[in-house]
Amino acid sequence: MDSAWHYDGKSATRHTVRVVPMADGFQLEGEGGGSGPHGWSDVVALDGTRGRSVYGLRRVQGWRLIFDGPPPPAFAAHLPLPGRYGRWIDRFGLVRAAIAFTVISALVVALVLSAPAWIAPLVPQSVENRLGDAMVGDFGGRFCQTPAGRLALNRLAAKLGGGDAGVRSVEVANLPMVNAVALPGGRVMLFQGLLAQAKSADEVAGVLGHEIGHVRHRDTMAALIRQLGLSVVLGGMDGNISGLVGSALSLGYSRKAESAADDYAIGVLASSAIEPDATAHFFDKLSGGKAGETLERASNWISSHPVSADRKAAFLKSHRPGAAYRPALSDADWRALRGMCAADKRVAPPPSFGW
Amino acid sequence: MADGQSSAFRFEGRWRDYAPIAFTNLLLTLLTLGTYRFWASTRTRRYLWSHTQFIDEPLEWTGTPVELLVGFALAAFLFGLPFLFLQFGMQALALRGHAGIAGLLGFAAFLFIAYLAGVARFRALRYRLSRTFWHGIRGGTDANGFAYGLSWFWKSAAGTMTAYLLMPWSMVSLWNQRWRQMSFGSQHFRSEARATPIYPLFLLFYLAPVIFVIAVVVAGFAVAGAFFHFDLKQSSGAIAAIVILAVIVAVAGLYIVLGLFALVFYAAFLREAIGHLSLGDIDFQFDATTGDWLKLILGDMGLVLVTLGIGAIFLQYRHWKFFITHLEATGEVSLSSLGQSATRAPTQGEGLFDAFDIGAI
Repeated sequence: MDSAWHYDGKSATRHTVRVVPMADGFQLEGEGGGSGPHGWSDVVALDGTRGRSVYGLRRVQGWRLIFDGPPPPAFAAHLPLPGRYGRWIDRFGLVRAAIAFTVISALVVALVLSAPAWIAPLVPQSVENRLGDAMVGDFGGRFCQTPAGRLALNRLAAKLGGGDAGVRSVEVANLPMVNAVALPGGRVMLFQGLLAQAKSADEVAGVLGHEIGHVRHRDTMAALIRQLGLSVVLGGMDGNISGLVGSALSLGYSRKAESAADDYAIGVLASSAIEPDATAHFFDKLSGGKAGETLERASNWISSHPVSADRKAAFLKSHRPGAAYRPALSDADWRALRGMCAADKRVAPPPSFGW
Repeated sequence: MADGQSSAFRFEGRWRDYAPIAFTNLLLTLLTLGTYRFWASTRTRRYLWSHTQFIDEPLEWTGTPVELLVGFALAAFLFGLPFLFLQFGMQALALRGHAGIAGLLGFAAFLFIAYLAGVARFRALRYRLSRTFWHGIRGGTDANGFAYGLSWFWKSAAGTMTAYLLMPWSMVSLWNQRWRQMSFGSQHFRSEARATPIYPLFLLFYLAPVIFVIAVVVAGFAVAGAFFHFDLKQSSGAIAAIVILAVIVAVAGLYIVLGLFALVFYAAFLREAIGHLSLGDIDFQFDATTGDWLKLILGDMGLVLVTLGIGAIFLQYRHWKFFITHLEATGEVSLSSLGQSATRAPTQGEGLFDAFDIGAI
């Protein structure tokens, strides 16, 4: 057994050694430095060694035994093979490991994507309420408040089943966006821009009904969990990719949740005898006419909302000819609601910069 | 062991030998949703280190994937907490009308992240040295990098807040500070880099935009003068087109010129920094010129473009090869007096920092 050398891990001196096998181990003998005896089980094979065979010793840093080429057969029989891809992959083989990884990865992706929907109902309502309150607070003093407007808003929410759905507050925020949101803890916000643009209280009723639907189905918690989970999972990836994937996946509620919220709105409009046509026309504003619809359809695979035109059709279809529809709010209530932000002198003005 | 004509450092890898590692790494990393990258990184380093010959023996990488995984988890946690606050907490506070407190806490979170970045830089170097063996001896440091993080923070701030004029001083001084705390085996690194020799090149880069704008304006006047002299009734559309084209060329030119001057400075910085680094009786040199760097960068871009991105798996190989090829060492190594390192080896890898992997320094 020749052409072996050894480093003792104490100094950089190179020792030429002979390997002397023993009963359950071996010993190194050489001029100026021997080593051992060492047991076979203490020897580790190191990989990535360019055709040489390099062995280390457990618990002794820097201890090396190096053969120029494969180790002598008498020696090799007792030793572990060096690793290549990693312990598990070496054991199963590259192809089988690759297949297993593919299956596991697919399962993980499916789990991560579906997790928010089944974790959300497990969050106690009280926790969600506190979370929602912490997030919203008084919205920087931007909630509009007049006695008459408040009364009108409460009437509308009650008509749309807000209480039974778990809505804890409905507010009008003094911001110029044509939109409404449902937040965790059963908190629904209408933005002043929506009221200003709406042709009638019926239109606002449909949008509010949709948000109440989200609260009823507890979609907000699922959306929050998804956003949180994505930011954690994607945090480890390269910045650009995570931004892109994150925005594609966290657009808000799932498409199924949006359709379900629409269904709730349609149902509640019908049961409280509010004409659905006004809400249907609201979707024209969202899609921005014909050209807008084409664009929307083209990007539909990535968007979370069903195409506006399809949603519009669903609302129009729910119109029952000959039904005795009544306005969602009396004229006086509608005026009070719509003018609430203008009438409230204490509300904070909309910020001058964009959101 | 005297150094002959050729460098004491030689890179003996071949990309064809590395290709199977690179491609299986890519495959397994994709199939495991990125989890394999710690194993991939370790395999790549084992290859690169073991094909880097220093005098009579190759280097040896002894880091393990699990260390990298733990380091990553730790870094993700430490960076993640302030980041999550920036993302969600600030939003909530601002919504509730506490914009002032939100801003203040956000600023604190930002400072914390900036401080951690300095600590991470130090600890990355410490980890790499502690896992690099040669002749059974490894490197390391006993410092944990928390003090270095503070220096990094205030020196970078000083470099930035003086309209970047102190940047070279800050870079050089941090380099020295970092390396003076490092050791290999029983010997300490010495680092005596100075900022003065590289200041002229920095000022060239610093003043490049001014020089460039003056040049463009002068050229513009000359061209415009020629045109008006030539034909006053030239159609205005053609003149507009020429002006627009000139602006595009000028802007693109500015970026290229700025990038080039930055490269000139950076190349000089590394030559100065590594050229004044020594260990025991060994002095290090780094001889990559601006042209060498330019070839490396253009080669990288070409490789990635031609292979539609897949060539990116060879970038780490290329960068390491570039680094080792231009690294030189002169002097003597006394093997018997080079004892084992007594430093405490860190238990976790370099965390998020390996994302900025370009060579060992």
